[in-house]
Formats: sequence, structure tokens, C-alpha cells
Amino acid sequence: MPAVTPYRNDRPSRPSADIKPVSPVKRARIIYNCLLFLTVIFVVRLFYLQVIKHDFYRKAALQSQLKQYEIPAERGTIYAYDGDQSTPLVLNEKKYTLFADPKYVKDSLKEASAITKIIGGDTNKVSDLLKTPGLRYVVLAKKLNKDQSDKLNKLDFNGVGTREESYRTYPDGTLAAQLLGFVNDEGKGQYGLEENLNDKLDGTPGELKAITDAQGVPLVSNKDNIQTDPKAGDKIQLTVDIGAQRQLEDILKAGLDHAKSKSGSAMIMDVNTGAIKAMANYPTYDPSKIADISDLSALSNAVVSSPLEVGSIMKPLTAGAAIDRGVITKDTTYYDPAKIPIDGYVVSNVEEDGGPGTKSIADLLRLSLNTGAVYMLQQMGGGQINKQARDVWHDYMVNHYGFGTRTGIEQAGETKGVVPDPDSGNGLNITYANTAFGQGMSATILQMAGAYAGAVNGGIYYQPHVVESTTDFSGKKTAPAPKVLRQTVSAKTSADVATLMEGVFTSNHAFYGMPHMPDGYIIGGKTGSAQIANPAGGYYTDRFTGTFAGFVGGDKPQYVILVRVNEPGIGGFAGAQTAAPIFSNLATMLINNYGVNPKK
Amino acid sequence: MQTLRARRRPSLAETEQRRHRPDYWLPLIATGLLGIGVVVVYAISPGVSTQNNVSEAYYITKQLVAVALGAIAFLVLSRVPIRWWRSAIKPLILASILTALAVQFFGARVNGAYRWVQIGGFSFQAAELIKFTLLIWLADLLARAKKAGKLDSWQDTLKPLAICLVAIAIVVGVMESDFGSTTVMVGMISAMVFVAGLPLKRIMMIGGTIAIGAILLISAIPYRRQRLLTFLHPAANCQTTGYQSCQALIAVGSGGMFGLGLGKSVQAYGYLPEASNDSIFAILSEKFGFIGMTLILAAYAVFFGRLAKIIEKAPDDFSGFLVTGMLAWFSVQAAINIGAMIGLLPLKGITLPFISTGGTSVLFVTGALGLAFQISRYSSYSISNNNQRSLNDDPTSGRGQRRTYYTTVRRRT
Repeated sequence: MPAVTPYRNDRPSRPSADIKPVSPVKRARIIYNCLLFLTVIFVVRLFYLQVIKHDFYRKAALQSQLKQYEIPAERGTIYAYDGDQSTPLVLNEKKYTLFADPKYVKDSLKEASAITKIIGGDTNKVSDLLKTPGLRYVVLAKKLNKDQSDKLNKLDFNGVGTREESYRTYPDGTLAAQLLGFVNDEGKGQYGLEENLNDKLDGTPGELKAITDAQGVPLVSNKDNIQTDPKAGDKIQLTVDIGAQRQLEDILKAGLDHAKSKSGSAMIMDVNTGAIKAMANYPTYDPSKIADISDLSALSNAVVSSPLEVGSIMKPLTAGAAIDRGVITKDTTYYDPAKIPIDGYVVSNVEEDGGPGTKSIADLLRLSLNTGAVYMLQQMGGGQINKQARDVWHDYMVNHYGFGTRTGIEQAGETKGVVPDPDSGNGLNITYANTAFGQGMSATILQMAGAYAGAVNGGIYYQPHVVESTTDFSGKKTAPAPKVLRQTVSAKTSADVATLMEGVFTSNHAFYGMPHMPDGYIIGGKTGSAQIANPAGGYYTDRFTGTFAGFVGGDKPQYVILVRVNEPGIGGFAGAQTAAPIFSNLATMLINNYGVNPKK
Repeated sequence: MQTLRARRRPSLAETEQRRHRPDYWLPLIATGLLGIGVVVVYAISPGVSTQNNVSEAYYITKQLVAVALGAIAFLVLSRVPIRWWRSAIKPLILASILTALAVQFFGARVNGAYRWVQIGGFSFQAAELIKFTLLIWLADLLARAKKAGKLDSWQDTLKPLAICLVAIAIVVGVMESDFGSTTVMVGMISAMVFVAGLPLKRIMMIGGTIAIGAILLISAIPYRRQRLLTFLHPAANCQTTGYQSCQALIAVGSGGMFGLGLGKSVQAYGYLPEASNDSIFAILSEKFGFIGMTLILAAYAVFFGRLAKIIEKAPDDFSGFLVTGMLAWFSVQAAINIGAMIGLLPLKGITLPFISTGGTSVLFVTGALGLAFQISRYSSYSISNNNQRSLNDDPTSGRGQRRTYYTTVRRRT
């Protein structure tokens, strides 16, 4: 308080002598001076806290206020071709999760009934959730649409809100479901492409360091927010054609119904690139209803994940190996004894094959002579099945046709099959005799397709692939050229194999479900009725897998088609009766709708 | 306005008074502080309303209504003649007792203590009414005792004072468990008897008794002990009992020299409890920084200085003691509140006058200020009864001479 100063000089100075010690004025001033002193103390203390210790408290404040968040990156989308057009197979959709903080819910029954009026469901259940004791966060409903979310927010119930979440949507429903895979609740790809390319599709989440309230909700207006933008996942362009895929699925389903089979697979691959045009299994599933699936095996893409003893569709490859080695030619004839004893076992043919006699390689394939396959293997060994024969055939199976190793296609759960070791184990010779006609080894449909493509396209094994290009968040597109993995057989041998297979199909086309051969196109193929190994030992006598491997083209093979029908319920040769018609329909479909180049 | 003034002519029969321009600084500073409170409450509304699950307009609406009611109370109390209150003491005491009882029987339990009674949409804090009653009653008692020269008399002064202190300790201290308000009332009594001229010996005696009582009160109630311990070791209890103190210090300290800015404070978003109420000083510190808070403290200092000036110039003892009590009321309350926020005093559930939200507090504080405003209109220009010299007789005093002297004889036109 400022000292009192006389305002006029001629006034006498302040009298004080007669003021008693107990002066209210003086005492009021004492009180006020105490207050001033206290104010000064407060200011000093504020200076200490706010200026000197500022950094300390700022740090303490940020320690509890600053929280780090991940901003999820948008998952990459997946496209396929519809003719020349790139069309989405998988998109992302914003959906809404309804959540509540039970602490703030006042009248749970009233709020629950208003909520269920919008989203449906059991009012009592929602009401119970709304008053869950001890929880600060309960999810009431998921995958609500924008309209529902807006209506819910309009209710303006305290502690009830919706949050945007991204979900996969499938414009084409179940189409290519197993090829694609799905995304689980944690946002992770499962099965198929989604799992295999999860890292690429995932993108890089952004980072948000945000000042939040005590509950951890970011205060957006604050300048301390540090953000790195999320990088969206890659956009994937598949080689798959939606139309071909759809028709393949339809044809497969119809063919399996006809064969009274419960399951099967089919695929079409471009022989000159290894690109998958279509690939499917039955049964499949609806990726939008993952929660309802009871049979988990339906989730796998059996084309790549389920190996089988391929059966007689191996024989053209055996022939290819033998021709390539120069031990036979496509025109070789030989004496077929109809029964060949090996290691105490007897390799024989089915009765309809006509017994012993002189046969050509074409006959061998047309009649599907197991003994013929053994003959070719023997030729690789210089006339008998021996170490040389086993080594040569093993070399062809593994190093030329790619069996026993994964193809590396962009699919999760790919298996590599089994190729028996040529040098160790019991009954090596009978085992290898069996492998010559596709038993005693196993491979996936995809591995067979890769080997066939390599065997008929001039001898080049292209890496089977389903991804044509990827485009990253910045728009940079990566479209690798078809990758050559290995040489299968020589170009000359390859032409011979194609010719032999064409012969097989041409002579049996009506039997294989194609009454009239289309003019201007070549179609080749080979049936297989593979025996199914009994886990108890040996093979089931009444259970087969019908397989068919073939190609379609004009001047030269353009697509290979592989078909597998598991345990058909109709009689006859499984391959010819059940898988071949599916092949024929697929070949016709390709010729009619998908521009197989006709002969010039 | 002038008509009103003319109608309330001071009576020369009681004391020789001069009527002049009132002290406009009082309502001016009070309005400024109320304004800061309203703006800050508005600014932190998104935060506190979310945390407490009320609509965003809840706090600001309540505060605006409180300020409006306070303004009405101010206008009314600045016009109702001071003398009238001396005749209203008995009803006031009765009302205080009834309210205290109502709080006990119908009160809402807030933070473990019964301090409020719900009236309509508003909760009414009994302690505020008791403070106001105490103010009037004690000013009257002391003024009469002083006039009769019986300030030191047991029967006339000390006994009623002792009864009053015991009553406050029981009703406010124990029953309402409101140690902050008890302290404020003891502060008011101390300041008033001090200024009234009670001998220092007596004051020290009474002070000693109060201190012993306070120690007993603190040690008897576990949560008080805990609060004291918390205060002595704040960092050790940051996550538990000391949470509010720690968060208050964080808020104050993170304000820095210039503050984070009006809209940028974070501690109100659920970190600091009672952000719009008892803890508002810490929020202000966070927003306005050292510079801003120094200005606000300066505003309080000037405000208290004006009140001190009015005490010095008071036209009569009753008015002087009234304003003394008021000064103690506002200043002790502010000191306790601020002291707790900056870690110099233990926490008490008490509002910062004029700035904190709280309908009852705003209503009574602004209403009481109306009394001071009315008193500031008058100065005594006679030597007051005890032959003490009022400063108005002091020719060196700045007061009075420069001001318009409204004669009581003629209506001014």
C-alpha cells in the first residue's frame, strides 16, 4: 500500500500523538499488509512453480497426457480382370461398432429399447450389457451401417457411441473365396492371398501422439499432436479373370454334382506365363459370414494345399522324361507284357486294356498302361529299374517338373508334396515303378499344372502366380515379368508330349464329354484315376480320385487345365467319367469366351 | 438513479456522514474476476462436462444463472440500508440454524460430507449463509460492545464469542466436516475482533484456544490427518490421496511464464478433480501462466486494498466491522484456496471467491459485496465515539475532500 502523502503542502503533517494504540485504522492496515505479504509469497511461489520448475511440471504433465496411438492403414484392395477391365474383388467398407461406457448409462432399459429399435436384437440383452458392472467399455453391436450409426448418434445417450471400423467387402460374394482368403477380427489376413500377402496388404500404420483426456481420448485441437500418416497397403492386381473364375466355379460344381462327388478342385493356368486365370475348389465359403463356418477345411485353397497321389496324369510327364533322355521317341513301339513283377509285387493294367501285345507310346497313353509307364522308367535305367533309372526319374520329377518343392504362388498354406528318395527306403524299385504312373508320390493340382505347362509350352517352367502387379501407396506399380524357374524338357520333347496328349484326347473326346472337337483348336489331355492311400497301409479298393490334366490352344498349347474330383459316387473310370467332362467344359468355355488363339 | 440516491438520505441523527461517489473499483474488479471465471468455465466446459457426464452447457448455464442472481443480490444489498440488517439478525440466525439442520437431515452427501441442501435445481451450501449471518451478527455485537466500552467484558463480548466459536466448530467443523469454512469463519472473527480493538492479550488467548481446538479436530478425524500427511509428503501420495494436489501442481507448473492459452489447457480434461470449482486456480495458472496469475493476484490485492480503505473510512463501527469481516471472508478463502493449489497449504474443499463456480458462493460473495459498495458511499466526518480519529479528519488523507459532498438538504437536479 502506497504511503499516504499530503496532497497539499500547506496542510499540517499528520497528527499521531493522540492516537491510541488500539486504532481500527492501524489494525485494518496491519491486516492488509499481511495480505500483501501473503500475495508476495504467492507470487514468489508461482514464479518458482511456473518459471523455475516449469520444465519439470511440463514433463510430468506430458507423461500422463501424451499418449501414443496407431492410426490403422487402409488395407490394400484386390482386383481381378473382367475382360480387359480391372474390377475389384475385395474392397474396404466403413462400418460402425456400437459401444457403451456403462458408467454413464442412466436408464439401461429405456436406452436399450431405443437402440434395438434401430439395430434390432434383444432389448434385454442390450440392457444387460449397458449395465455391466465394473466395465468401462462394452461392445453392443458390430458392422452397423452409416445410417444406423447416424441414428444411434442422434439418440445422444451419454456413454453410448459408435466408432468407424474398416471391413472387407466382397462385391462378388463367394467368388474366388479360397483364393482370396479373408481378414479376421484383428485385421490380419487368413488363408489364401490375404494371408500370404498380409504384409503388403497391411500397409504401414500411422502414428499419432496425442494429448488426451484422462480417459485417453485425444484432444484433437492440441498442437502437440505429432502425426505420421498411415501408408495404405498395396493394391493387388490378380491375373484372375472374374468371368472365367465364375464359370469355372459353376462348371466345377455342376461336374461334381454329376459325379456325385462331395468335393473337388479345378484351375486354369496360362502355359506361357504361369499366370492363373481361374482357380477354385468346392465346397467353398462366404467370406462375409466367416463366423458361421463350421467346416474349417473349406477355408483352405485345396488346389495348393492338398496334395494327392496324382495317378495316371503322371504318364505324359514320364513319357516326356523318357523322350527327353532319348531312351524312347514318341513313335517307339514296345512289347507290353501286361504284367511286370517288381520286388515281389506285380504291376498290371486294368482288364479292358487288352492284355499283352506290341504297343506304341501313343497306345500307352491312350490306354493308360501302367506297365507302359514302368517300361519307360526301365528305359531310363537302360532296360531295368535300377539306381540309374531312379536317379534319372527323380531328377526329372524334382529338378524338371518341380515336384517336392512349393511353387511359390502367392497363396498361404501351400504344401510341397512328397517325392520318394531314390536311394533309401524299402522297395525302392516298386516305389519308383509306382511313381512312373503317379502313385507312391504326391503333388498338388497346382504343381501338376506347373509341370504340365512346362511340359507342353516348349519346356519352360514358369513360376505359377496369381498376382500380376502391385501398386503401393505412392502409386508405384510393380509388375514383374513371368519368372522362369527351370527347364522341364527340350522344346522338341515338349512338342512331342503335346502331340501325344492331343492324340489321347482326340481319340477319346466323345468319351471325355466333348462330342465334337472344335475346329481350329488343339486340345490335349490325360485322365487319371488315382488310388487313395489307406492310412492303415496299401490302398482303398473302392475309393478313387478322378483327375484330368490337359491343355487347350490353337497352333500351340495356351492354357493348361487341371481337374480333381474327390471320391466320385458314380461307377466307371474316375478320371474319364468325372474329371474329363469338367475339363471338356472348361476347354469349351475358354475357346468360346476367353479368346484362345485359333490355328492360323 | 439520482432519485434513488435522494430517497435514501443518510440520517444525520445517528452519525455524521457524508454521502459521495461509491467505490466503483469494487464492482469493477469483482465483475472482472467473475468474468474470468465465466470465460474459463466456458473454456473448460467440453472437458469437465464430458468427465462428469453432463451436457456441455451445464456448467456455464449454472454459472451464468449464479452470476445473474449474484448481480441482483448485489443491487439489492447495495440499496437496503445497512441498519436494516441489524434488525434482521435474529431471523438470519434462525435461518442459519434451520439450514444447518436441513443439511443434516435432507442434505446431499458430496465427497463424504453433508454440506448441501437441494433447493429446486440448485444446491445450497449452508456454510455460506452461516458466514453471512456471522458477519452481520458479530459486526453488530462488536459495534454495540465498543459503543458501551464493554469490548473486554466476558458477559457482553467474550461469552457470546466463545459460544459462537463452539457452535461453528460443532456445526461447520464437525457436523458438516467443513474445515475450510470453519477456518474462514475463525478468520472472520479474528479479523473483526482485532480491528474492533479487543486487547491483544485476549486475542492471543482466544487464538490459543482455537489452535488447541483445531489440533484436536484434525487429530480426531482420520481423513483430516491423512490430508495433512498428504500435504507434508505430496509426491509420495501422487496416485492416491495426493492425486488432486499433484495434478494441481502439474497444472500450475505446466502453465509456464505465459500459459498454454485459454483453450489449450489439458488438466481440466479429467486429470484435475473439481476443475471448475475448487481447483479453478490451477486451471487458470495453466491457461494464463505466471504473468496472468500475477495480474489476477494483483487484482485481488487491489480489491482487498479497496476494502481496507473502506474500513478506514467507514461511517460507523458497524459498517467498518462489517467490511472487515468481509475482507477476512474473501481473503482467507482465497488464500486457503490458492495456497492449496500451489502446494503451500493442505487441500480444503473451498471455492475461490468470484472465480470458482458454485451458485451459493457466488450469490453470497457478490451479495455481501453489495453491502461494502453501499458503505463505500459514506464517510464519517466526525470523530467517532471513542475519541479515535477517523482518517477523514486527517487533512492528509486523500479521501473525502475531493469527492462530491451530497448535501442531504436539497434534491439535486
